[in-house]
Amino acid sequence: MNTGTLIDRRSFVKMAGAAWLATLGSRRAFALERSDAVFASTFMAPDGGYGIATLTEEGEIVERTALPARAHGMAFSPVTCRAVAFARRPGTYAMILATDRTAEPVVITAAEGRHFFGHGCFSADGRLLYATENDFSANRGMIGVYDGTRGFARIGEFPTYGIGPHDMTLSADGRTLVIANGGIETHPDFGRTKLNLDHMEPSLTLVDTATGTLIEKHGLPPELKQLSTRHVDIGADGRIWFACQYEGARDDLPPLVGYFAKGERLSFVPLPESTTAALANYVGAIAINRREDLVGLTSPKGNVAVTLDAKTGAVVKEEPVADAAGVAAAKSGFAVSSYDGQFISRRSPVAWDQHIVRLA
Amino acid sequence: MRLRFSLTLGLLLLAVVAPAAAQEGATLSPRALDEAALPGVMAKAVDYFIVPGYRDLSRATADLVEASAALCATPSAPALEATRSAFSDVVRKWSTIEIVRLGPALEQNRFERFLFYPDRKSTGLKQVQAILAKRDESATHAESLKVKSVAVQGLGAFEYVLYGTGAEALNGEDGRFRCRYGMAISENLKSIAGELLAAWEEPEGIQSAWKAPGPDNPLFRDNKEAATELLGVLVHSVEMVKDQRLRPFYDGAIDGNPDKGRPKLAIYWRSGNTMASIGANLRGLQTLFSIAGMENLLPGDSRSIAGSVNFLFKALISASDRVEGPIDAALADNKRRSRLDFIALNTADLLDRLNRDFGGAIGLGAGFSFADGD
Repeated sequence: MNTGTLIDRRSFVKMAGAAWLATLGSRRAFALERSDAVFASTFMAPDGGYGIATLTEEGEIVERTALPARAHGMAFSPVTCRAVAFARRPGTYAMILATDRTAEPVVITAAEGRHFFGHGCFSADGRLLYATENDFSANRGMIGVYDGTRGFARIGEFPTYGIGPHDMTLSADGRTLVIANGGIETHPDFGRTKLNLDHMEPSLTLVDTATGTLIEKHGLPPELKQLSTRHVDIGADGRIWFACQYEGARDDLPPLVGYFAKGERLSFVPLPESTTAALANYVGAIAINRREDLVGLTSPKGNVAVTLDAKTGAVVKEEPVADAAGVAAAKSGFAVSSYDGQFISRRSPVAWDQHIVRLA
Repeated sequence: MRLRFSLTLGLLLLAVVAPAAAQEGATLSPRALDEAALPGVMAKAVDYFIVPGYRDLSRATADLVEASAALCATPSAPALEATRSAFSDVVRKWSTIEIVRLGPALEQNRFERFLFYPDRKSTGLKQVQAILAKRDESATHAESLKVKSVAVQGLGAFEYVLYGTGAEALNGEDGRFRCRYGMAISENLKSIAGELLAAWEEPEGIQSAWKAPGPDNPLFRDNKEAATELLGVLVHSVEMVKDQRLRPFYDGAIDGNPDKGRPKLAIYWRSGNTMASIGANLRGLQTLFSIAGMENLLPGDSRSIAGSVNFLFKALISASDRVEGPIDAALADNKRRSRLDFIALNTADLLDRLNRDFGGAIGLGAGFSFADGD
């Protein structure tokens, strides 16, 4: 019997209070001022409730939508104007919103024996939604495939070819999913406990969206086995950037950021020791500003936001941000949020979650 | 007056305790961690809770080996009873210290080898039954047992040996193989407990990292990281009790009707140790909270949060103690079931107190477990 999933579904219904159900039924479901809203991020409100907010280029909240439980990462399809927020691991729901207000929000729940890892992305045409999921009894990363033309019904799945997948993005041509398999074994029976820190298997994989077959897999060398590859983004030149969280000794200074292109080996950016130390062995989010060719990194543990030159890997900027949470490309540089409500220069009475998605 | 715990009282308790802490949270400015107090708290957690906890476990497992050896040498009803009693003692000692689910407990799958739970698809049960049916000799030596499936070498397997189908054979000659398998498990448990104790007793090992956070520390670069780990023990363990120990067998009232429960999914249901284990989890947590002096991390005007936390711990422990008897009988009884409702409700409240009120007040941010990235 799959107790965890049942429980989550049950508590999901319990938590989906009257107010939230009302927003589902209402036409003002996601009354988004498209001209203003540039970013979206999930948050926790002071009363402990959760939601999605859209924000202006300056970081001011435009609109909020309540969520039944904590969410983590988001994705957006400019083609279909759908935004999705995924439950945080080991959560079992995802909510899809029409940012053009043409449809009611859709809530999907994870399949039996699966839970979400908190990230995913849309296909290039926006029709399909891909989610990183855990086949927890087999300890196998999976990608759930959902069809947006059929109410986001789950139409299939394929492996991530690794364990503990976290973030995932799509190549520019839409043919390849880029997956960060963090390499950490978890099981909903044990909450968020990391079960295999002494034998992790981090990897980055490229998977064919058409066939679900593995194109490339990049493991980490033995001395970096405790370096969890967790977040990815793609540069203007198609290079894949990845950011890591280190589970080994706290006084080690492992490389935390790297890049590769299809067919190439992984390269790590040789950050200055002071920057590596400042990032506290933990990059919480990564984003690329493709126009300016910059890489943005945040560390909630190091309370810092770092900007790199994507061409050279050089540190362009390193600024203290208490409880630094999300990062996304802004008009110039990056939008950075924090757990204590900061979003660019504005502060709102919410705790921003770890990721920001750009809507426009 | 002896309190009668019921769901009503649980609600009353929520109503009574909540306003004080809520007001404090609303009016206080952002807090900074008490850097001077933290190292002392970490040291006390190690010296007065963790090391003694593993020492107790080590002794209890040694007693279990002795009792098992006596049973195998001279099978008899009293010897079986003595082994069962030693087993229950190991369950209590383990349940007290299992809340420290980090460091050495997570290395080499020690935790899962000591306790494999839940056994979702009865995989472990089938493996244990297969060992007994086939008389697999390799399971009767601790060295060859420890490389087998984690499900056949820990407390769950031993419980089946002592209480599962066919356990009555342990009284006599027919139970020889079963007894030797049980003895190998007890030796395995003793060896894991010994490894855990040794790791924590090593002066230059994890205990020195816990006691002196700093730039060269392999675990905590600063006091805040250490405080986060320590409070994490409390928060994650209360979550464990609520979500992974209680809910599998009892889900509270659903649409106004009490959940009939699933007694065979309860941890240690065969030996009747379900609530003893949950009670020991909670006792361990309260002991850690008190003995480490975690209250000292609170600013003077927020000390009432510790009062609320302690009050909830006491109420929960008392309620656990009063769900007596086998868990299937308890689930069928209104009075005892209402105590399970009380535990479900108040573990959720306790979680909030620790996570939001306590974490916020000691400077770890409002919603301490919110801030763990991912």
